[in-house]
Formats: sequence, C-alpha cells, structure tokens
Amino acid sequence: MSELEPAVRLAGVSHHFAEQRVLHDVELVLARGTTLALLGHNGAGKSTLMKMILGLISPAQGQVEVLGQRLQCGERPTSIGYLPENINFYDKLTGHEVLSYFAALKGERSTRVSQLIEEFGLGYAQHKPVKSYSKGMKQRLGFAQAIIAQPKLLLLDEPTVGLDPQASQFLYSKVNQLRDQGCAVIICTHELNLVEPHLDVAMMLGRGRCLAFGSLAQLLAQSELGVQITFNAIESVVSKHAPLAEFYHQGDLRCSISQRAWLIQYLTRECGIFDFDIKNPCLADIYNEKMTQMQSCNEQGLSFTSSISYSSNWSLNNVTP
Amino acid sequence: MLPHELTVWRGPVMIIAAKEIKDSLRNRWVTVIFAIFMLLALSVTFAGSAVSGTLSFPALASVITSLSTVSVFIIPLAAILLSYDAFVGEEEAGTMLLLLSYPLTKRQIFMGKFVAHSAIMVTAITISFGLSAAILLGFGDGYLWGKTLSAFGQFILSSSLLAVTFILISYLVSVRSSEKAKAVGSLLSIWFSLVLIYDLILLALLVADLGSTAQVIVNAMMLLNPTDIYRAINLFSTGTQFGGVALLTKSSLSSGLLYMLLSIWVVLLAWLSQRAFARKAI
Ligand SMILES: Nc1ncnc2c1ncn2[C@@H]1O[C@H](COP(=O)(O)OP(=O)(O)OP(=O)(O)O)[C@@H](O)[C@H]1O
Ligand SMILES: [Mg+2]
Repeated sequence: MSELEPAVRLAGVSHHFAEQRVLHDVELVLARGTTLALLGHNGAGKSTLMKMILGLISPAQGQVEVLGQRLQCGERPTSIGYLPENINFYDKLTGHEVLSYFAALKGERSTRVSQLIEEFGLGYAQHKPVKSYSKGMKQRLGFAQAIIAQPKLLLLDEPTVGLDPQASQFLYSKVNQLRDQGCAVIICTHELNLVEPHLDVAMMLGRGRCLAFGSLAQLLAQSELGVQITFNAIESVVSKHAPLAEFYHQGDLRCSISQRAWLIQYLTRECGIFDFDIKNPCLADIYNEKMTQMQSCNEQGLSFTSSISYSSNWSLNNVTP
Repeated sequence: MLPHELTVWRGPVMIIAAKEIKDSLRNRWVTVIFAIFMLLALSVTFAGSAVSGTLSFPALASVITSLSTVSVFIIPLAAILLSYDAFVGEEEAGTMLLLLSYPLTKRQIFMGKFVAHSAIMVTAITISFGLSAAILLGFGDGYLWGKTLSAFGQFILSSSLLAVTFILISYLVSVRSSEKAKAVGSLLSIWFSLVLIYDLILLALLVADLGSTAQVIVNAMMLLNPTDIYRAINLFSTGTQFGGVALLTKSSLSSGLLYMLLSIWVVLLAWLSQRAFARKAI
C-alpha cells in the first residue's frame, strides 16, 4: 500500500528559530518518481525544509509524512539519501574508507563501494586522504554517499556546487536514472539553467513562504513573461507592417506565449523574415519575476502568497498568483 | 549465540568505533601521546640507572609514585586532545548532520565514539605501563611478583578510569561548544584548574592551618576532584605517605571507596554528556 503513497507530504508546515520565522505554512505533495527543484534566495528556508523532511527538525506546526510514514517527533525515516550542503568529510580518511564507512552504516556491501568509486571517476584517488581532494571530488564523494543504498527519496542540497560541467551532467543523469526507477528527488540549487531540463516540478520559496509551485509549463502559464523576438533592422520592418507595432517594445518584439505561433507566421509570411532570434522565458526569468514580485509586495506590506495549490499532480492544478 | 555476536560486531556502534580508531590513529597527536607515555614509563623505570651508571631500579613504591605524579598531568591532557573534537568537529564539518540522517540513534553515535576513544587510551596506558612492570620483573632484583603486579594493575586500572573521566569531560564540553577552538580553550582551562589550581587552593587552606575543620573540608574537597582521587588511589596502593595528598591516606578512607568515587564520576559524566548530546538541537 505504501508504494502508492506520495514520497513526501507536507501539510501546513511552519518553523521558527528563536523569534525568527523560517518556514511559513508550507504545503507540498511530491509523487514518487518525480524530481522537485527547490528554489529560493539565500536564507529562504530551503535547507531547513530538507532537514524537516529528514526528521532532523520537528516542525513547530504542521505535519510531515515521508514515504507513507508520518514522522513523529524525533523519528527518522529510512530509505533516504541525503547530501547536505557544505560537507567536509573526515579528511584524514581516504575516499574509499569514507564511502565504505557510510556504506557499512547503511548495511551495503563493499562491492557497491568499489562500483560507485569507479562510476564516479574517483578510482585514481580512492586511496588518497580526502584532505587532498578537490572541491568537485569531495562533492562527487558526497553524491555517491547519498545514492549508495538505492534510496526511495533523495535529497540533494546544492549538489552541483564546484562540479565541472561534465560532472554536473553525470550527476543529473544519475538523478534521472533513479527517478525513472521510482525514486523521488528534491534538489535545492541556485544553478537554475542546470536543473531546468531535469525537473518535473519546481517550488520557489521566498522568506519561508511558497511563492510558486508547479511544472515549468504551469509556472510559465502563471507568469506574465513573454517571448522576445529580435532580428536585424527591426525598426524599419515594424514601421512598414502596422500589426507589429503593438508588439514592439524597446528594440524587440514581445508577445505572450500564446501569441508566439501567430507572430512567427506573420513574420515569415508577410514580412519575409526568416532569420530571427526567439528567446523563450526560462526558469531563471520566472524565478526573477517571482522574487521581484515578492520584494515589491513586501514593500507595500501585502501578502504575495494567497491561493497557491501545491501538488505534483499537475493535471489537477490551477494556479493563480 | 553466533548471529547475535555478529550483529554486535557489525552493528553501528562497532562500525563507528572502528572508524573513530582509524581516524584517531592518523592523528599526529595520538602518536605523540603514545610516545610520551612510553617515554614516561621508560624514564621512570630507568631513572636510577642513569644516575648510578649501572642497571639498578628504584623501589616499587617510588616507581608508582613518580609515574602517578607525572601521569596525573599527562593522562587528562592526552584524553582531552584525543576527544575534544568528537562532537564539535563533526558538527563543524557537517558530518554530524549527515550521520543523524542515517538510521542511527544518537546513543549509538555516542557509544561508538566512547568505545573507540576509551580503547585507545586504555591500550596506550596498558602497553606503556605494562612494559614498565615487565622490565622491573624481568631485569630487576627483589621485586615480588604479587606486589608488583597488584601495584601496576591498580595503577593501570586507575589511570584508565582517569582517562575515561577526562574523555567524558571532553565530550560534555565538545557537545556544548560551537567551535573547536572554544572547546580546546575550555578544556585546557578545566585541565589546568583540576590538576593545578585546585590543589594549590587546598594547599593554601592547609597552610593557613584553620584547625580540624579545615582538615575535614580539604579531605572532602579532594574527593570532589577526580585527579585527587586518582592520586590518593596510587598512594594507597603502595602504602607510602608523602606529598600533599598523603593527608587523605590518614583519613579512614579505603581504596575501594576511592575507586567507587571515581566510578561515580564516570557514570555521572557519562549520563551528563549523553544527555547533553541527546538534547542538542540541530
Ligand atoms: N540552526 C539555526 N539556528 C538559527 N537560525 C537558523 C538555523 N538554521 C537556519 N537558520 C535561519 O533560517 C533561515 C533559513 O535558513 P536555510 O539554511 O534554510 O536557508 P537556505 O534557503 O538553505 O539558504 P541558502 O541558499 O543560503 O543555503 C536563515 O535566515 C537562517 O539564518
Ligand atoms: Mg541552504
């Protein structure tokens, strides 16, 4: 039965450190086999949310359910892989020893350790102390540690910090592989363009509140962001074709996503222009928009988050910012 | 029976202990500690020979007294250096957070570290001072086996208890510190106060000669300090009476009671440090 339960269910979770509110009424339902990108500014509460899902922090209010198990105070769920941010492994031990230690604590065999070390390209350094590892090598070791026991839920806190582009690609390919096997993944990152192609859903946190939740398409639909089209000698073309005037804005054409097809058709058929650049809004644009909105709302003393529904089951979702 | 033994051996406590031992053995400090213990044991054993130029050994009582006079400083210091970063170090590195996300209890983490650090200290103490006893028995004349073994046995046992006491004091401070440097600082002041300042105050009280009440207070205060209990135990075991602590031996305390007091310290500190760790927020 519990296989059908969502991997993570947060209901009205709030938390504060001393007087400071860190999480405010966060809701989340994350299905198995989905990747969630957890985004937000520094100090937004992302890491705190992860610790809460791990059972390391008990929420002041609300409920946390992980892999079908409701977490009581101080209880820790199993089958979870976790890569904390800024971790320094025991630097006098070798990479092999560190990984063997964590494998042993999870009851994994030593063959799995050797396999992961080879797979992660650490074979040449496995018997050198971790102290001598580069940042990226340490990060790979940390990621190997997180997936050593075939987790059902994987929490990665800024996993690509310090990784070279190929290593990041490798990390995401591993993540996708695990996700396809039914593992739910939560990735907290500031490298939006890296995570964008791999996420199923994204959650944006701002000052402890959920600012937005949904798939990329849903987030785009909610946003007021448009498509930008540029080409050479744009001004003269616009002056010759009156219908373009309404899209012209500061040196390029801007339209909503729904108008994109019509505009491209018009440009190619009516204006005979085939060489143009189209810039579709990306995750970073949506992120910037949300953060700017949050800041201006805060300045005006308004609440920005009123009616957001949170579910990774996005066919049911209808989000209005 | 066998499966059970296997689970204990491969259980989390032993896995953690094995890793802690490996980690500590790569620590330069631990090598230094071993070397100092060895040096101490050998220099006290051969002290007489160096002066006279022939192979002659001091009396058993004076060996034990010299050893305990120095080791009351060295053993606590060694225990502190070995274990001061047990908790605050992992806290700073972020590995504690990771360990806690594993299916482990805090008690298992605590026990794993405690087993490892105690094993290292007890091994260092036993090997170095055991060697000293072996040399006396093997090369010296007129050392009675029974008396020598019992004196060294007591010395090793009490030294181990002293080491464990200071490992636990280090844990308590380590759990409560936010930085490694602060932990070292606090622990060195505790060490300095317990092995030096405390006795100076007692000495001052005695010198002031406030009559029999002062004597009672001094005796009671000695029982509150684990290093003084340790000194007293080793004076008892050899039956000698000199030094400031000799006053204690005049009182009606038996050595069994002293061991019990030291054990109470161990139990109390174990409870306190374990509780501090269990209550520590992330
Ligand atoms: N142990 C703690 N004690 C007190 N305050 C804390 C603690 N941990 C986090 N905070 C506070 O909670 C807030 C959220 O912290 P958190 O680490 O979750 O942020 P984050 O979103 O992960 O940020 P970053 O992107 O910088 O990693 C911050 O304002 C931080 O100061
Ligand atoms: Mg963080």
